[in-house]
Amino acid sequence: MRQARTFKKLLLVTAISSGFLLAGCDGDDGEDGKAGADGQSADVVAQLAMTTSGFSIPEDAILVAPDAADGDDITEALSVALFDLPEDALVVLPKGRFVVTESIVINSASGLTLTGYGINETALDFSTSNGDDAFRFQGGNGITVRDFGVYEAPKNGIKATNVNGIHMTYTATVWEGELESANGAYGLYPLKSQNVLLENNYAFGSADAGIYVGQSENIVVRNNTAKQNVAGIEIENSTMADVYNNIALANSGGILVFDLPGLDKAYGGNVRVFNNQAYNNNADNVGAGVVGTVPPGTGVLVLATSDVEMYNNQITDNDTTAVAITSYLLVDDDLASYPANYGATMGNGWSPTLKNVYLHNNTIARNGDNPRGALLQPVIDGYSSNMNSKGAPQTFPAILYDGIGELLSNAGELAGFNALVGAEAQADGVNYDPYGAGDQICANSNINGNPAPDYDEVNTGLVYPDDPADVTMVDGDGNPLPHLLIDQMVNNTYLNCVQPRLAPAVVNFRNNIYGCTGDDLAEAACAL
Amino acid sequence: MKHSNKTIAAGVVTSFLMAACGGGGGGDSSDDSGSNPTGSALNAGAGAPTGAEGSCSATTNGVNWDALMTEVCPKLSDYNLFTDASDPTAGPTRGGVPYDLSTALFSDYTSKYRFVFVPEGKTVGYNPSEALDFPVGTVITKTFALPENTAMPDGAELVIETRLLIHRVDGWMALPYYWSSESEATLAIAGKRLTDLTTINNQGQTLTFDYAVPKAADCNSCHSIVPDLAGPDDQREQIFLPIGPKARYLNKDFSYPDGTVYNQLQYWSEGELLTGLPADFNSVEQAPVFNDETHIPSLSDAELNDKARAYLDINCAHCHRADLTLPADYAGPAGSSGVQLEYNRVYADSPGKFGVCKDPVAGGKEGYPYDVIPGNADESYLLFRIETTDSRHKMPELGRSTTHQEGAQLIRSWIDQLPSASCSPMP
Repeated sequence: MRQARTFKKLLLVTAISSGFLLAGCDGDDGEDGKAGADGQSADVVAQLAMTTSGFSIPEDAILVAPDAADGDDITEALSVALFDLPEDALVVLPKGRFVVTESIVINSASGLTLTGYGINETALDFSTSNGDDAFRFQGGNGITVRDFGVYEAPKNGIKATNVNGIHMTYTATVWEGELESANGAYGLYPLKSQNVLLENNYAFGSADAGIYVGQSENIVVRNNTAKQNVAGIEIENSTMADVYNNIALANSGGILVFDLPGLDKAYGGNVRVFNNQAYNNNADNVGAGVVGTVPPGTGVLVLATSDVEMYNNQITDNDTTAVAITSYLLVDDDLASYPANYGATMGNGWSPTLKNVYLHNNTIARNGDNPRGALLQPVIDGYSSNMNSKGAPQTFPAILYDGIGELLSNAGELAGFNALVGAEAQADGVNYDPYGAGDQICANSNINGNPAPDYDEVNTGLVYPDDPADVTMVDGDGNPLPHLLIDQMVNNTYLNCVQPRLAPAVVNFRNNIYGCTGDDLAEAACAL
Repeated sequence: MKHSNKTIAAGVVTSFLMAACGGGGGGDSSDDSGSNPTGSALNAGAGAPTGAEGSCSATTNGVNWDALMTEVCPKLSDYNLFTDASDPTAGPTRGGVPYDLSTALFSDYTSKYRFVFVPEGKTVGYNPSEALDFPVGTVITKTFALPENTAMPDGAELVIETRLLIHRVDGWMALPYYWSSESEATLAIAGKRLTDLTTINNQGQTLTFDYAVPKAADCNSCHSIVPDLAGPDDQREQIFLPIGPKARYLNKDFSYPDGTVYNQLQYWSEGELLTGLPADFNSVEQAPVFNDETHIPSLSDAELNDKARAYLDINCAHCHRADLTLPADYAGPAGSSGVQLEYNRVYADSPGKFGVCKDPVAGGKEGYPYDVIPGNADESYLLFRIETTDSRHKMPELGRSTTHQEGAQLIRSWIDQLPSASCSPMP
């Protein structure tokens, strides 16, 4: 009985793309006409429907369970339709809200477009799924995922690994209700991929990162909204990434740029974050692992990633800080154990320090009202007491730089790590030498958006001075103690330097160029 | 890697429609298998693919090679791999050779029955570390059966599924068949979920769990190696490979149906099925035996380490692997995670690759600060993931619905005896 049903659904799904098979058979194909199995020449393909984002679905598309009713379980039809696809297939999910009870895995798809009828028109509910990820694309090239929403995936929403050319647009990954640790991990999740284009998506409720790009290269993330995730948008161990025109709100951390140790792609860089809004990122952090240490109330966090440019963003109303720029030493200060624990990954170029991070022309307002988070607690306590450089309680810095990696490098204390760095990473400039001009962390021309009485509450803070000569406080072992330097963001000497601009990211998707050198050449965000 | 030009669904549709039209579907392919044995090789008389398009309804004396090479058949019996089509646990069609592995992937306490069919006139090439080099035409069958009691593997059992690995001209592919009745296994592209299965494990505990027959697409999740894309123009695709039949797991004695007890690699080699086996047989790698009968407390530290490493290799390293003996710039599907658990990896070179003192990256759970904390298995995320059945965290991701208590105990003991590291509890 069950098997008979399987075959029927197989037929349903494939009849549309197999008109030639039906043509040889005189009988009625049993379809309702909607499927278009009419044996007509397909030279001129009529439009079956238009998605809410304006994407035209042609009549010869492969329709998955087109007659399913709201609430139906379409798992089987979906699994069958997406197994062993022809090249350049266009597969259409039905309109309505449907149940899916297993992970949907798509292997080595070439030119696939998987679409629904719209971000709100097609909803797939994975709340009863026995699988882990909702969708997982493994291998393949030129894949578009668009116009549908994925709800309550047990693990990740839409994952894509080792794909060259992955485009997600007008999709939603949602875990409804409160932000809880039992919510799924990543929403949109390209990993180890090339040519990644994420745009017009909505990510809500993930207990890790809503929009996450990991160990990938040539990336454009634009026009997305990430709300109420632990991390809104995260670029991790990735190279050549542009993140612009996004909104990150109500997350624990709005936008994160991370290099984490021990990953196959050891480090990233050349990440540009511009023209985004990161506001009200004050959700309690329910995450685990390193992302679980992100202080709630963080607008943007750059952790151990070098070559990052942030500009023209509006970063407001975050309880802890607008922008934190820190080495990995904040996460793990056991320097003596670095060779044992991170030796291999440091050999491949991962470094706990960061260099060449440049913040300019950002508008920063109303941050730091209620700083918190275990990672920063000692620093927070220091700034809010008389222990800081002003000798009086201060509003927590809107731009916070830990400075410890730079200080130790400049003091020659990390020189021993140079011996760990492999030849390839050395050639790429990875070292633990004192910082040169091009290595410096710079912040200038940022705009203080606070109204007049609170104007002096927008500050830049350095936990440690970068010049060993300025170290005035040491512990009994001669280790520097936090100095908690602080001064107004505008018109002070901290981080007052300029770095060269970084190159734009280029995404080549199906032989079209996307990003500031491609389809957004005339976009205002790309002009500054 | 694409499996074939003909899609699964189209194949099924064809036969369905033909039947509906009353047309004479197929049946015209010539049958040249089952010819007289022409030698002493184990696969003598097995027949071989002709290169012609096959038919699921062809009647063959031996294996229906041509169908295997070109068709996705709706019924397992269409391929004629077993003399008794209703019993995939014994009696392979001529040329099929049974084998097992010294340490096997845990699959919800099922017993597994494995056969390899190599076309007549072809041989398997030896490989010291990776899966043996099976020629095009090779078919591997693996049948999963849940015993009523794992301590009595010869007792009653429920035959659930038979998976095929088929080496076609354009690469390996996999097909899952579900035993939908006592006599017939049918193609299960979308998988199958069986609820409330029960077994009694070696500790005498009654276990009840759902059993998931994987979807056809799931096979790639474990059976692939994936390219480390080197730049925006790198279009390489994943490559599908067998996992278990590596020299180190085959290098053990097997009791053949005729009563012969013999080392499997030597049996294959002397049976002219395997070429290139080193003359110095002691140089052939050997993974230790670990199964549910293994008494873990009596293992020496060296034995414990060896068995744990084999267990991690066969259960995890199909995904958690990179470099070493892989083709250049390929890794397992989870190679990017940074946790790499191959049997051949030297622990002392990089304990971090085994998760030691490593922060969980994509995942993590409160109370489990590192993947592996030597001396503190209880707070090691890796062990938690091996033990949990919560699909948010469980490992392996596929094919396990219940905890392998014996395997988890092995890994627990291993973590607790690892050399102390910076994240270990203070002595």
